[in-house]
Amino acid sequence: MTQANSVDATLRALLADVLGLGEDRAAALTEDSGLFGELPEFDSMAVATVLTEMEDRLGIIIDDDEVDGEIFETYGNLLAFSLRKVTD
Amino acid sequence: MAEHQLRIDPAGAPRATVVIVPPLFEEANRMRRTLVLAMRALAADGFAALLPDLPGQNESPVPLAEVDLDRWRDALAEAVSGVESPAIVASFRGGALIDHKANAEAWWRLAPVGGASLLRTLLRARVSADREAGIASSIQVLQDQAGAAPLLLAGNRLSPAMIAGLGASEAQAVRPLRSIGLGADGIAGTPLWLRAEPGEDAAMAQAIAADIAAWSKTCGIS
Repeated sequence: MTQANSVDATLRALLADVLGLGEDRAAALTEDSGLFGELPEFDSMAVATVLTEMEDRLGIIIDDDEVDGEIFETYGNLLAFSLRKVTD
Repeated sequence: MAEHQLRIDPAGAPRATVVIVPPLFEEANRMRRTLVLAMRALAADGFAALLPDLPGQNESPVPLAEVDLDRWRDALAEAVSGVESPAIVASFRGGALIDHKANAEAWWRLAPVGGASLLRTLLRARVSADREAGIASSIQVLQDQAGAAPLLLAGNRLSPAMIAGLGASEAQAVRPLRSIGLGADGIAGTPLWLRAEPGEDAAMAQAIAADIAAWSKTCGIS
């Protein structure tokens, strides 16, 4: 598995766990799938939980200043942010 | 003042009593149904199962802003000391931060987590909610405020002592201890404590009860 594929799989599993999406809905997320503001489960507590789990599961540290609304706009944005962090 | 306890008894005299220490804050609500299902499964297997309210949580008469981790540790130790049969303490997530003062025959922990990680999530939820409401906010500013007065984090009004305690708290060594996670080497199931909307998992509850019962046997309790 390439690193990009493994980050993608980790991120989908994490969103499935936090948002209770189930495997099918998590697998069906595309780059353009909306997250915050679009999925009703995605509230501010879920954002916080996703960030902490990303740190744990991807082995990264996410600074307060790096988090803006854009990251959670779409699945594609969240994936791009995660890939940037793991290759930093 | 006495706190409520949920107690489920077996048909006859209990083999032992399993005292459940739930995850902390919102995670406790997300896990509660599955924990109670596990308690019923334990009772069907001959154990008494006890889930005490922590001061400041659930039906407690104590305001949350007045408690800290040490108070929870003492309350739990007191709940365990009131148990008549041998006590096994079963802690989930942040529950593992407060279970070591209890005088138990054995400990069992599922997915223990450091207090700093729990605190970080609570602070982030507040920052995220503040920013959504157009209020400038940061973890650093909140942490500075938390030194002087209680801070409202994701619906929990937490005292300076609670916040300082969480930031520095790790699960402590206890013996005998079985500490496991989710997955092949632990409990099959999903991390329900993370779930934005509470779910339940009957199979996971059965697996939890079976693992605790097997550990009790390994420790020579029953």
